[in-house]
Amino acid sequence: MKLNELVPQQDPVDLYLPVMSEIRDVRPLTDLETLYTVALPDGRDLGHQPGQFVEVSLFGVGEAPFSISSSPTRKGVFELGIRKVGLLTEKLAELKPGDKVGIRGPFGHGIPVEKFRGKDVLIVAGGIGLVPMRSMINYVLDRRDEFGRLIICYGSRSDKELLFTDEMESWRRDPGVDFHVTVDRGSPEWEGNTGVITTLIPGLELDLGKTVCCVCGPPVMYRFVLLALKSRGLPDKSIYMSLERRMKCGVGKCGHCQINHSYVCQDGPVYHYPDLKSLEEAL
Amino acid sequence: MAAKPRVAIFDFTGCEGCELNQLNFENQLLDMLEHVDIVEWREAMDDRPGEYDIAFVEGSLSTPDCIKRINEIRRRAKVLVAVGACAVQGGINGMKNTQPIEEVREEVYGKDKYLFPTLPALPLSAVVKVDVNVRGCPMTQMEFLKVFTALVMGKKPVEPTSAVCVECKLKENECVYEKGMICLGPVTRGGCDAHCPSFGQYCTGCRGMVPEPNLKAMEEILVKHGLSVNEAWKRLHLYNTHELEGLKS
Amino acid sequence: MELKFLASDRVEAFVSYIMQKKTVYAPQRAGKHSVALKKVADPGAVVLDYARTMQSVKKFFLPPRDELLQFNLADQSFAPAEVKPLDAVLLGIHSYDRAAIDRLDYNFSQGHAERNYLTRREGVVWVGVSFEPDEFHFSGSVGIRPHDTEGFDVFLTRARDGYLVEVLTNAGRELTAGFDLPATDQAKPQPGHFHQHIFLPQAKLNEVMGASYNNPVWEETAEKCVGCGSCNIVCPTCYCFNVEENVDIKVSGGTRERIWDGCMLREFTEVAGGEVFRGGLAERQRHRVMRKFKYLSDKTGHPWCVGCGRCTAYCTAGISIVSIVNRCISDYEKHAATAV
Repeated sequence: MKLNELVPQQDPVDLYLPVMSEIRDVRPLTDLETLYTVALPDGRDLGHQPGQFVEVSLFGVGEAPFSISSSPTRKGVFELGIRKVGLLTEKLAELKPGDKVGIRGPFGHGIPVEKFRGKDVLIVAGGIGLVPMRSMINYVLDRRDEFGRLIICYGSRSDKELLFTDEMESWRRDPGVDFHVTVDRGSPEWEGNTGVITTLIPGLELDLGKTVCCVCGPPVMYRFVLLALKSRGLPDKSIYMSLERRMKCGVGKCGHCQINHSYVCQDGPVYHYPDLKSLEEAL
Repeated sequence: MAAKPRVAIFDFTGCEGCELNQLNFENQLLDMLEHVDIVEWREAMDDRPGEYDIAFVEGSLSTPDCIKRINEIRRRAKVLVAVGACAVQGGINGMKNTQPIEEVREEVYGKDKYLFPTLPALPLSAVVKVDVNVRGCPMTQMEFLKVFTALVMGKKPVEPTSAVCVECKLKENECVYEKGMICLGPVTRGGCDAHCPSFGQYCTGCRGMVPEPNLKAMEEILVKHGLSVNEAWKRLHLYNTHELEGLKS
Repeated sequence: MELKFLASDRVEAFVSYIMQKKTVYAPQRAGKHSVALKKVADPGAVVLDYARTMQSVKKFFLPPRDELLQFNLADQSFAPAEVKPLDAVLLGIHSYDRAAIDRLDYNFSQGHAERNYLTRREGVVWVGVSFEPDEFHFSGSVGIRPHDTEGFDVFLTRARDGYLVEVLTNAGRELTAGFDLPATDQAKPQPGHFHQHIFLPQAKLNEVMGASYNNPVWEETAEKCVGCGSCNIVCPTCYCFNVEENVDIKVSGGTRERIWDGCMLREFTEVAGGEVFRGGLAERQRHRVMRKFKYLSDKTGHPWCVGCGRCTAYCTAGISIVSIVNRCISDYEKHAATAV
């Protein structure tokens, strides 16, 4: 087929113009991470899926992708959990309620929640990977009867770097949530598990036929988590993974996020694990 | 509005061409002064007040006194900007580093050499933490303005890292190698808009080498074009002695 | 197709004539040995007999520096960049460069259709010219011949003492109407021969390249490569870009611009925090070549390389994309032979 026949005719749109949105709340999560509550103009809903991302920009500073940390079940505003690591995020950290940021999106494929419906939901989150996973966790908690058990494994470098500690308390107390947390190196006050996130997986109570898992964390984590899940016998088709890449445009144009034939900003960031096997550079 | 950033400008061993270039912002100087208070600038004024938000420093470090001064500047500056090839890479002054220091001293100062202690010429980063580099010999005005506005906005400027070749290709410059000349563009950081090749010259490497330079491949390029590797290496040392010595060890 | 004749000594008159109708961009001398596409001011400066321009017509639709919006820092307002249709004649374009635009059209229409690029694409009248393959051209290997008229409104084929003219579309008829082009019974000459060939058609290459992921050729190429990114920057089907903010000296406003980027450059895959997903030159070379001969062709059935030879012609290190692909083919065939 000719190239121009492969694409349906559609009206061109301005892909790079942000919607100026208001910061409603700024809440520090740790020394490095901050949770921003953002409102689109006119009370519009973002209309996202858990696992999707938005492009956030500040004029004169830049634009970068951030995963959405709130569940779409919570209307009116959305939340972004952002770590201070570079130019843009350092300037974002100076924002106060009432300040404006540019928003584009939501973009990409999030977690296919329909595939998790009626199933036990296993979330494996490493470090800042909890940010997008929290969207799914709260989605499940808000629609509790549509899902089976909710199992959360969360690993962090240290107890000082744990995110959403107040919500963690409520997950811990919730009898419907099987919550596990570990830190690589604990401070003297830390009384919980110590060790990398994979140490949590052998002890999990899993109904293998009924469990669907979503993994998100730093690049080094994936291989080891996959091995641990495999040794528990969780089939590949029950695993979804959210990948991080440099997504500059968010709309499959700029080429930065490409892994083999796949654009992370379009086909991802959440992938079905069997689809990732053909992408040599993915993991 | 917050208080204006306090800016100081210093020079070490160098030709002061970069500083002169700063004074050449005829059209922009007044706009610039709107945003900052210049508290120390030997080229332009003569008083000695206290702390500064941004220190622009030109020149390489080549005497024990330089080391003392740069440490003092670092202590007093929130952001330290190295300006020009001497400050960023050691620059031309670095050429003396490959020769015995006593011979150099004698050659320059003759019988009075004992009055003038000297050290191998070092970039600022060899002694203190440098926050921002404005590269080039001399530094380019456009880039300095970019860095300046970024710092006024309180953000860290982005440093170009790709080779000069990128800018030559964007401008459709005929490749210098096609003209039969040695060009250091393939291993030199761009950001200069390929200034020299655009005017019929070869790249002298004044902006320093790209990160992780593949010098073996560069050597093959020279051989392939029938050019002298020896001569090219000599030219590369002109601005990059300090870094090349570092690569060796 | 009726052939008309444009004698060599009337080319200048032809260019003057179409310049009255529309702005014309055409190849013109840019240096001692080079030719570049530029707006025509002097019809006599147009060069129709040339090997290649360093930059393709891509630069008119996706400029190296392209403003996306203008912002005001005081009130945080912004305005979209003004983008106008190119609305011009592109004269003296080779078939591979026209084919490259089909690929860019696909990219900027698929998924989300992008206004900036697609607006500029409007109002173009394409006047092609045949080319004589030089030591770097290999477009024949990706199905693009020197005389291919696809996508052109008018096509000029080099013949004895002039050009055979095919007027292919209404836009072409409009452009040439009123200029005396006599009919000719000269037959279209055979296209020139290519000196460079990829040894297999694209249909087979997807499989070959898929099996070449761990071929030593990537490491071997990396040893010769300085990673300057020239191959990306001169490629007519490369469209990757970065986005930059520019603030004016008054710090009152500025522009958000996109600038060409290249997958051979180290920062291309770097994310905040410093992780680089393709840190080595071998991985980057592999990505560059796979993108042309596998990744995008898997998706579309079309190779993303048009055989212009630019990446090889302008590589100071002399790295040849044809040699890399052929090496993958011969290793694949060797392996297949020993496996049997």
